[in-house]
Amino acid sequence: MVAILEDQRLDPQRELGELLAETGGDGAVVSFVGIARPESSVGADVEELLLEHHPVLTLKSLEDIAVEAAERFGISRVRVVHRCGRVPAGEPIVFAGAASKHRRAAFNAADYLMDRLKTEAVFWKRESGSAGSAWIEPTEADYADRDRWG
Amino acid sequence: MKVLFYGRLAESIATEVEVDALPGSSVAQLRDRLIAIYPQAEQPLRNVRSRACVGDTLVHDDYVPEVAETVEFLPPVSGG
Repeated sequence: MVAILEDQRLDPQRELGELLAETGGDGAVVSFVGIARPESSVGADVEELLLEHHPVLTLKSLEDIAVEAAERFGISRVRVVHRCGRVPAGEPIVFAGAASKHRRAAFNAADYLMDRLKTEAVFWKRESGSAGSAWIEPTEADYADRDRWG
Repeated sequence: MKVLFYGRLAESIATEVEVDALPGSSVAQLRDRLIAIYPQAEQPLRNVRSRACVGDTLVHDDYVPEVAETVEFLPPVSGG
């Protein structure tokens, strides 16, 4: 299982290549790339996201989520790479990938990874744009998505 | 006692402060003391999703930190 806290621009193609290179005997690889949106939930323009992190707990949260996804779905490889620091709108913010023998486990693991990351990864995010800046927190829909996994 | 803050708590208080806390004070009592000093931070400090952390381990409200320990208050996380 690989979990990385990345303070430089994230390259999804490179991360997918790393995941593919680790697979042996797997028949499925599913990946997700999250991108910093240029618009807030209320329609205001967003120029950048600041992802503040904890020096220890943030990476630990990524590692814990990756391990729990692997155990839950019996997949062979998980790769989570998450940005921290300042991320301009339009740039990748997270890569989550899973490899397994069969496709269903890989799809489920990637879905689970993102639902957990969206609500439990230890980041404090602030959107900044022409209208100012605001701290953002998960929505009720984000919590509901996470809770459906029980 | 050294206290660290993150996110909106750091913005409304500071990233780090020294607080006079009575020996034997719990995390809950430390939180009350902080709210008395920084009333503008009451809402995020009392949020049910806010957590306290000592030595990189999350602790409950009844935890009693040593005076030499650093307590970190984490506002609700944003997620990734």
